Amino acid sequence: MEQELIAALRQRDPAAFADVFATYSDKIYRLAVSLLHDEQAADGVVQDTFLALIEHIHTFEERASLATWLYRVAYNHAQTRLRHQRPQVDLDEWADDNIALPEKMIDWSTLPELLLTGEEAKAQIMTAISTLSPSLRAVFILRDVEELSTEATAEALGIQPGAVKVRLHRARLALRETLAGYFEEIRGEEWTAKH
Amino acid sequence: MDCKTLITYLSDYIDRELDESLAAEARDHLATCPNCSIVLDSTQKMILMSKLTGQVAIPKARRERLWSEIEAAFNERNAAD
Repeated sequence: MEQELIAALRQRDPAAFADVFATYSDKIYRLAVSLLHDEQAADGVVQDTFLALIEHIHTFEERASLATWLYRVAYNHAQTRLRHQRPQVDLDEWADDNIALPEKMIDWSTLPELLLTGEEAKAQIMTAISTLSPSLRAVFILRDVEELSTEATAEALGIQPGAVKVRLHRARLALRETLAGYFEEIRGEEWTAKH
Repeated sequence: MDCKTLITYLSDYIDRELDESLAAEARDHLATCPNCSIVLDSTQKMILMSKLTGQVAIPKARRERLWSEIEAAFNERNAAD
Protein backbone atom coordinates (compact mmCIF):
# COMPACT_ATOMS: atom_id res chain seq x y z
CA MET A 1 0.00 0.00 0.00
CA GLU A 2 2.71 2.45 1.03
CA GLN A 3 4.91 1.33 -1.86
CA GLU A 4 2.08 2.13 -4.26
CA LEU A 5 1.65 5.55 -2.67
CA ILE A 6 5.39 6.28 -2.95
CA ALA A 7 5.42 5.10 -6.56
CA ALA A 8 2.50 7.45 -7.29
CA LEU A 9 4.30 10.32 -5.55
CA ARG A 10 7.38 9.69 -7.68
CA GLN A 11 5.20 9.93 -10.75
CA ARG A 12 3.94 13.24 -9.33
CA ASP A 13 0.37 12.05 -9.04
CA PRO A 14 -1.65 14.98 -7.60
CA ALA A 15 -4.14 12.65 -5.87
CA ALA A 16 -1.33 10.81 -4.08
CA PHE A 17 0.17 14.10 -2.96
CA ALA A 18 -3.22 15.29 -1.69
CA ASP A 19 -3.59 11.98 0.19
CA VAL A 20 -0.25 12.44 1.92
CA PHE A 21 -1.15 16.01 2.91
CA ALA A 22 -4.52 14.84 4.29
CA THR A 23 -2.87 12.04 6.29
CA TYR A 24 0.22 13.78 7.63
CA SER A 25 -0.28 17.54 7.80
CA ASP A 26 -1.91 17.51 11.24
CA LYS A 27 0.64 15.05 12.59
CA ILE A 28 3.51 17.22 11.41
CA TYR A 29 1.77 20.31 12.74
CA ARG A 30 1.39 18.76 16.20
CA LEU A 31 5.09 17.96 16.42
CA ALA A 32 6.03 21.42 15.15
CA VAL A 33 3.67 23.42 17.34
CA SER A 34 4.70 21.47 20.43
CA LEU A 35 8.34 22.32 19.73
CA LEU A 36 7.90 25.91 18.64
CA HIS A 37 4.87 27.13 20.63
CA ASP A 38 4.05 29.28 17.63
CA GLU A 39 1.18 28.40 15.29
CA GLN A 40 2.46 30.46 12.39
CA ALA A 41 5.94 28.96 12.64
CA ALA A 42 4.36 25.48 12.89
CA ASP A 43 2.41 26.17 9.67
CA GLY A 44 5.76 27.12 8.16
CA VAL A 45 7.22 23.75 9.17
CA VAL A 46 4.28 21.95 7.52
CA GLN A 47 4.86 23.96 4.37
CA ASP A 48 8.65 23.38 4.41
CA THR A 49 8.10 19.64 4.89
CA PHE A 50 5.74 19.28 1.93
CA LEU A 51 7.93 21.46 -0.27
CA ALA A 52 10.82 19.12 0.64
CA LEU A 53 8.63 16.17 -0.33
CA ILE A 54 7.95 17.78 -3.73
CA GLU A 55 11.66 18.33 -4.31
CA HIS A 56 13.12 15.15 -2.85
CA ILE A 57 10.62 12.33 -3.30
CA HIS A 58 12.91 10.77 -5.92
CA THR A 59 15.67 10.40 -3.29
CA PHE A 60 13.37 8.75 -0.78
CA GLU A 61 14.69 5.36 0.33
CA GLU A 62 11.94 2.82 0.67
CA ARG A 63 13.53 1.11 3.66
CA ALA A 64 12.32 4.05 5.73
CA SER A 65 8.61 4.68 6.07
CA LEU A 66 7.10 7.78 4.52
CA ALA A 67 5.84 8.88 7.96
CA THR A 68 9.32 8.62 9.48
CA TRP A 69 10.83 10.51 6.56
CA LEU A 70 8.26 13.32 6.89
CA TYR A 71 8.73 13.55 10.66
CA ARG A 72 12.48 13.70 10.24
CA VAL A 73 12.27 16.53 7.70
CA ALA A 74 9.73 18.35 9.90
CA TYR A 75 11.90 17.91 13.00
CA ASN A 76 14.95 19.28 11.20
CA HIS A 77 12.99 22.31 10.00
CA ALA A 78 11.53 22.85 13.48
CA GLN A 79 15.03 22.64 14.99
CA THR A 80 16.28 25.26 12.58
CA ARG A 81 13.42 27.58 13.50
CA LEU A 82 13.86 26.86 17.20
CA ARG A 83 17.57 27.73 17.05
CA HIS A 84 16.59 30.96 15.35
CA GLN A 85 13.88 31.69 17.96
CA ARG A 86 16.00 30.79 20.96
CA PRO A 87 19.70 30.58 20.07
CA GLN A 88 20.64 29.95 23.70
CA VAL A 89 18.68 26.68 23.88
CA ASP A 90 20.72 23.53 23.51
CA LEU A 91 18.32 21.16 21.78
CA ASP A 92 20.20 18.07 22.80
CA GLU A 93 20.50 19.15 26.38
CA TRP A 94 18.94 16.62 28.67
CA ALA A 95 21.03 17.01 31.80
CA ASP A 96 22.29 13.71 33.20
CA ASP A 97 21.06 10.16 33.14
CA ASN A 98 19.78 10.22 36.68
CA ILE A 99 16.04 9.76 36.84
CA ALA A 100 14.44 11.76 39.64
CA LEU A 101 12.29 9.51 41.80
CA PRO A 102 8.60 10.46 42.04
CA GLU A 103 7.76 12.56 45.07
CA LYS A 104 4.04 13.27 44.87
CA MET A 105 2.14 10.12 45.78
CA ILE A 106 -1.45 11.18 45.43
CA ASP A 107 -3.69 8.88 43.43
CA TRP A 108 -5.26 11.39 41.08
CA SER A 109 -5.92 8.76 38.43
CA THR A 110 -9.16 7.87 40.25
CA LEU A 111 -10.52 11.42 40.23
CA PRO A 112 -13.85 11.86 38.39
CA GLU A 113 -13.51 11.78 34.59
CA LEU A 114 -15.06 15.23 34.42
CA LEU A 115 -12.10 16.69 36.30
CA LEU A 116 -9.58 14.70 34.25
CA THR A 117 -11.03 15.57 30.86
CA GLY A 118 -12.16 19.17 31.51
CA GLU A 119 -10.71 22.15 29.69
CA GLU A 120 -8.63 23.18 32.70
CA ALA A 121 -7.04 19.72 32.96
CA LYS A 122 -6.31 19.78 29.22
CA ALA A 123 -4.67 23.18 29.56
CA GLN A 124 -2.57 21.85 32.46
CA ILE A 125 -1.38 18.94 30.33
CA MET A 126 -0.44 21.19 27.43
CA THR A 127 1.40 23.53 29.80
CA ALA A 128 3.19 20.61 31.46
CA ILE A 129 4.29 19.25 28.06
CA SER A 130 5.51 22.71 27.06
CA THR A 131 7.81 22.86 30.10
CA LEU A 132 9.75 19.78 28.97
CA SER A 133 13.01 20.43 27.17
CA PRO A 134 12.61 20.28 23.35
CA SER A 135 14.45 16.96 23.14
CA LEU A 136 12.17 15.31 25.71
CA ARG A 137 9.09 16.95 24.20
CA ALA A 138 9.81 15.65 20.69
CA VAL A 139 10.19 12.08 21.96
CA PHE A 140 7.08 12.29 24.12
CA ILE A 141 4.93 13.65 21.27
CA LEU A 142 6.08 11.05 18.77
CA ARG A 143 5.90 8.08 21.15
CA ASP A 144 2.91 8.84 23.38
CA VAL A 145 0.75 11.19 21.32
CA GLU A 146 1.46 9.97 17.76
CA GLU A 147 2.16 6.40 18.93
CA LEU A 148 5.27 5.82 16.82
CA SER A 149 7.44 2.87 17.81
CA THR A 150 10.74 3.42 19.62
CA GLU A 151 12.62 2.58 16.42
CA ALA A 152 10.57 4.91 14.20
CA THR A 153 10.95 7.73 16.74
CA ALA A 154 14.71 7.14 16.85
CA GLU A 155 14.89 7.29 13.08
CA ALA A 156 12.71 10.41 12.86
CA LEU A 157 14.79 12.28 15.44
CA GLY A 158 18.18 10.94 14.35
CA ILE A 159 19.01 9.43 17.74
CA GLN A 160 19.58 5.92 19.08
CA PRO A 161 16.60 3.82 20.26
CA GLY A 162 18.18 3.70 23.73
CA ALA A 163 18.12 7.50 23.88
CA VAL A 164 14.43 7.47 22.89
CA LYS A 165 13.66 5.16 25.80
CA VAL A 166 15.60 7.20 28.33
CA ARG A 167 14.06 10.48 27.16
CA LEU A 168 10.55 9.05 27.08
CA HIS A 169 10.95 7.74 30.62
CA ARG A 170 12.24 11.10 31.86
CA ALA A 171 9.43 12.94 30.08
CA ARG A 172 6.72 10.66 31.50
CA LEU A 173 7.99 10.93 35.07
CA ALA A 174 8.34 14.72 34.82
CA LEU A 175 4.82 15.09 33.39
CA ARG A 176 3.33 12.78 35.99
CA GLU A 177 4.97 14.79 38.74
CA THR A 178 3.79 18.13 37.33
CA LEU A 179 0.21 16.89 36.94
CA ALA A 180 0.28 15.33 40.41
CA GLY A 181 1.01 18.80 41.78
CA TYR A 182 -1.96 20.24 39.91
CA PHE A 183 -4.39 17.48 40.91
CA GLU A 184 -3.17 17.60 44.49
CA GLU A 185 -4.53 21.15 44.63
CA ILE A 186 -7.76 20.14 42.90
CA ARG A 187 -8.29 17.24 45.26
CA GLY A 188 -7.58 19.52 48.20
CA GLU A 189 -10.27 21.90 46.98
CA GLU A 190 -12.69 19.05 46.40
CA TRP A 191 -12.04 17.71 49.91
CA THR A 192 -12.43 21.17 51.43
CA ALA A 193 -15.72 21.65 49.57
CA LYS A 194 -17.11 18.37 50.92
CA HIS A 195 -16.18 19.08 54.53
CA MET B 1 12.56 -5.64 43.32
CA ASP B 2 12.67 -2.36 45.28
CA CYS B 3 10.93 0.96 44.52
CA LYS B 4 13.94 2.54 42.82
CA THR B 5 14.35 -0.41 40.46
CA LEU B 6 10.62 -0.44 39.72
CA ILE B 7 10.72 3.26 38.80
CA THR B 8 13.76 2.64 36.59
CA TYR B 9 11.80 0.01 34.67
CA LEU B 10 8.44 1.77 34.81
CA SER B 11 8.28 2.84 31.16
CA ASP B 12 9.48 -0.55 29.93
CA TYR B 13 6.81 -2.13 32.12
CA ILE B 14 4.10 0.17 30.72
CA ASP B 15 5.27 -0.51 27.16
CA ARG B 16 5.45 -4.28 27.85
CA GLU B 17 9.09 -4.34 26.91
CA LEU B 18 10.40 -6.08 30.04
CA ASP B 19 11.41 -9.69 29.80
CA GLU B 20 9.05 -12.03 31.63
CA SER B 21 11.17 -12.57 34.76
CA LEU B 22 11.58 -8.79 35.34
CA ALA B 23 7.91 -8.18 34.55
CA ALA B 24 6.97 -10.81 37.16
CA GLU B 25 9.24 -9.12 39.73
CA ALA B 26 7.63 -5.77 38.89
CA ARG B 27 4.14 -7.23 39.28
CA ASP B 28 5.09 -8.73 42.67
CA HIS B 29 6.44 -5.39 43.84
CA LEU B 30 3.39 -3.48 42.60
CA ALA B 31 1.08 -5.88 44.42
CA THR B 32 2.62 -4.90 47.75
CA CYS B 33 3.68 -1.27 47.20
CA PRO B 34 0.84 1.30 47.18
CA ASN B 35 3.15 4.18 46.24
CA CYS B 36 4.56 2.46 43.17
CA SER B 37 1.03 1.43 42.17
CA ILE B 38 -0.01 5.08 42.38
CA VAL B 39 2.96 6.12 40.23
CA LEU B 40 2.10 3.43 37.66
CA ASP B 41 -1.63 4.26 37.55
CA SER B 42 -1.12 8.02 37.36
CA THR B 43 1.61 7.70 34.71
CA GLN B 44 -0.66 5.55 32.56
CA LYS B 45 -3.51 8.01 33.05
CA MET B 46 -1.23 10.91 32.14
CA ILE B 47 -0.24 9.15 28.90
CA LEU B 48 -3.89 8.54 28.00
CA MET B 49 -4.85 12.13 28.77
CA SER B 50 -1.91 13.46 26.73
CA LYS B 51 -2.91 11.28 23.79
CA LEU B 52 -6.45 12.65 23.86
CA THR B 53 -5.48 16.25 24.57
CA GLY B 54 -2.65 16.27 22.06
CA GLN B 55 -4.82 15.53 19.02
CA VAL B 56 -4.95 19.14 17.83
CA ALA B 57 -5.51 19.86 14.15
CA ILE B 58 -4.60 22.79 11.94
CA PRO B 59 -7.64 25.12 11.95
CA LYS B 60 -9.67 24.82 8.73
CA ALA B 61 -8.93 28.27 7.24
CA ARG B 62 -5.17 27.98 7.81
CA ARG B 63 -5.19 24.42 6.53
CA GLU B 64 -6.91 25.48 3.31
CA ARG B 65 -4.44 28.31 2.82
CA LEU B 66 -1.50 25.98 3.44
CA TRP B 67 -2.83 23.41 1.00
CA SER B 68 -3.41 25.98 -1.73
CA GLU B 69 0.19 27.22 -1.37
CA ILE B 70 1.62 23.70 -1.33
CA GLU B 71 -0.58 22.59 -4.23
CA ALA B 72 0.56 25.61 -6.26
CA ALA B 73 4.21 24.67 -5.60
CA PHE B 74 3.43 21.07 -6.59
CA ASN B 75 1.78 22.15 -9.85
CA GLU B 76 4.61 24.57 -10.61
CA ARG B 77 7.20 21.84 -10.06
CA ASN B 78 5.23 19.45 -12.30
CA ALA B 79 4.98 22.05 -15.04
CA ALA B 80 8.75 22.63 -14.87
CA ASP B 81 9.56 18.91 -15.37
